[in-house]
Amino acid sequence: MKKRTIIDRIKTSFANIKANPDAFKSGLLSVLVPGLGQLRNKQKIKAAVFFGVFILFILVELVTGGYIYLFSELQTYPGDPIYIIRDYGGIFTRGLWGLITLGKVTAQTMYRGNLVSAYNKVIPWLSADNSVTLLGNGLIALILFSLYVGVWITSVRDAFVSKITILKSGKIETGKQYIKRIWVEMFPFIILLPTLVMVLFFIVIPFLFSFLLAFTNYTNAVKVPLDLIKWKGFATFAKIASDAGWVKIFMSVIAWTFLYAIMASFTCYVMGMINALVIESRYVKAKKFWRTLLIVPWAIPSMISLMVFRNVFDLNGLANQLLVALKIMGPVSNFLHAVGLQGVVGDPIYWFIIPENGNLAKAVILMVNLWLGAPYFMMLITGVLTTLPKDLYEAAAIDGATAWQSFRRITLPLIIRATLPAIVMTFTFNFNNFGAIYFLTGGGPGWPTAQIPTSMYVSGGVPGQTDILISWIYKLSFNNNAQLYNIAAVYSILIFLFIGFISVYNLSKSKGLWEDD
Amino acid sequence: MRILKKVLATSVAYLWLLGGVTVVLVPIAWMIVAAFSKGILLNGVPLIPDPSKFSLEHFEYLFTYMSTSSQTMADYPGAFLRTLSIAVVNTIGVVFFGVITGFVFARLNFIGKKKLLLTMMVLQMFPSFMGMIALFLIFRQFGWLNQPMYLALIYTAGSIPYNTFLVRGFMRNIPRSLDEAAAIDGATNLQILSKILFPLIVPIVGFIAVGAFMAPWLDFMLQNVMLPAKDQMTVAVWLYRTTDPFNTMFYNPLTFMAGALLIAIPIMIVQFFMQKYMVYGLTSGAEKG
Repeated sequence: MKKRTIIDRIKTSFANIKANPDAFKSGLLSVLVPGLGQLRNKQKIKAAVFFGVFILFILVELVTGGYIYLFSELQTYPGDPIYIIRDYGGIFTRGLWGLITLGKVTAQTMYRGNLVSAYNKVIPWLSADNSVTLLGNGLIALILFSLYVGVWITSVRDAFVSKITILKSGKIETGKQYIKRIWVEMFPFIILLPTLVMVLFFIVIPFLFSFLLAFTNYTNAVKVPLDLIKWKGFATFAKIASDAGWVKIFMSVIAWTFLYAIMASFTCYVMGMINALVIESRYVKAKKFWRTLLIVPWAIPSMISLMVFRNVFDLNGLANQLLVALKIMGPVSNFLHAVGLQGVVGDPIYWFIIPENGNLAKAVILMVNLWLGAPYFMMLITGVLTTLPKDLYEAAAIDGATAWQSFRRITLPLIIRATLPAIVMTFTFNFNNFGAIYFLTGGGPGWPTAQIPTSMYVSGGVPGQTDILISWIYKLSFNNNAQLYNIAAVYSILIFLFIGFISVYNLSKSKGLWEDD
Repeated sequence: MRILKKVLATSVAYLWLLGGVTVVLVPIAWMIVAAFSKGILLNGVPLIPDPSKFSLEHFEYLFTYMSTSSQTMADYPGAFLRTLSIAVVNTIGVVFFGVITGFVFARLNFIGKKKLLLTMMVLQMFPSFMGMIALFLIFRQFGWLNQPMYLALIYTAGSIPYNTFLVRGFMRNIPRSLDEAAAIDGATNLQILSKILFPLIVPIVGFIAVGAFMAPWLDFMLQNVMLPAKDQMTVAVWLYRTTDPFNTMFYNPLTFMAGALLIAIPIMIVQFFMQKYMVYGLTSGAEKG
């Protein structure tokens, strides 16, 4: 579908160009020098605006570069390899150079006959390259450059389109009219400017930066001001896909991530629905009282509840204390062993600590998540229940439907339809629910030593049995002995793709949200 | 038979609710008891509280202990004030950007509006951790780590895409005839926004303001990475430090309970107060604007 339309558009624009050779000439002139086409169209002010932007672009490049030193200095240091753009380029060329190479010159090496230091105030090109700065500046240069290219394309299109209008109507838009029109058109962008800058610098550039890290060799082995980061293409992807040990660990983390996200959303939904139905049923009095009590976990910040539960399931915590005080430690421990949650019968129970109890830790995470998450769905479903049409139930009762039938056929479908977006949202939230894992178990218990590949021990960033993908990425990036930024970036891209997939689905469901009236 | 059934159903319902309430309240009660218990060990927390043995030593510790000598204030109140300042700056920023951006997308027409909206929609779906590695590396490079105000900027920027949709959705339900009447009287766009629309969108502004104020209290990931210095801790980092068994120097679960209690109570009050707005926000994000 989409491909057809793009091809069609290209075809029609070609036909358009063929039909208006005179306008095409104006457009072509603007390709050579922005504004030239407008000059040919006798629109002087417009031409001046486009040409001014062009000159500004060139000026910025010249002023931020060291072009004036280029000729006097070049002969001074003959021989030796030399990176002219690096040494004398302006903000755009040097930025793009840095993005492509990630730096060439390190400190304490000889460059053009001199010793390079970390930072040289007098001769800028004798400062060592820093790959992180170059990557950041490169992205900024790239974005500014594409903005400028956008203006250039606009000027070409404008020259073409205006010529057609002039030929057809014989009228030339005056400079005054043009400026007024541009002001009206530009006003939204002018007041959006701070927003766009913020979004650009704190969301878009970091996203791109992280994305690009996946194609580098940046780990803790690369000490950044001293060493340079290098582009490695898909080497990191290949490395983690070809190492059988990594793949195995990755698969089990992914499997648990999905299991957790699905089970956590499902259990909370069911529990929330039961609670809502019980409270709203005709058998229960003082509905508001019960509702308020059951909502309490929602009101407590989840970070705090999770940390409290970490202590509850501590070796000396509330859970074990209660089991001892009620004298049911033995039976419970045996039971947990019998159903396969506990690897070895423990007294007290080691909830999050020993590798044999991985399943127990997972079960506890789901239970705690139920404690935290059920009230949200209880509130949501209670809200839906109050909107259900009463006459439907009356009609069903007249037709002789039992209570179960009217629940199954009327209540349940209506609730699910009203809460479907919330279910999808909860699923994606749980998929990235860093806190539920990191605060509660810290990813523990660890894997049995034999299951961890040696390469992972060497590189660091070993996940625990309850780590989901995002908490593992956090460990890979920020654990002091890991800092495997490239691997973390690869896994981030996986999450990106997965969430993108769900987002596209969600987007198609909620068109009204972003489409215009 | 019918009466028996009704009695049975009623007792099952009440048993269910009683069980639920017990599960909900027991950990909370335990937390409160622990905060007032003596010592540093969890097994020193009694299952049946004895008010005569309660002590305030953990609260005292909160307001006196300093982990580095360079500080002018104890760790906990310092972390509290730091988080508070981030929260205040974030609230101001979020309201400013949210209202302006929401207004532009709700009321003005311009080239590329649809594309920008779609971009915002896509951006708000990705969790902020995606850019976190980059933010950390860039901030470390430029020496911006340990600067709470820069962190506030990250929070503000990160919430722009989502809040744009909330404000825009709310504003679109206000009849355009209001602004058109004002425009005929010669009001500029900014006057229409500040004099006519703003008073009408106060509910949604309140909603995003409370959300923005709460965010820094509830986030740990970014704060732990961006403010690594001991004298730049936030409440979340402080809480994690006291409850992390591997951090032997600061691990102290009972002090954690005391500190957590002092933070949880005001937040709970705000949450209960904002309950009906929260549900509004939850549903309006999903439904058509």
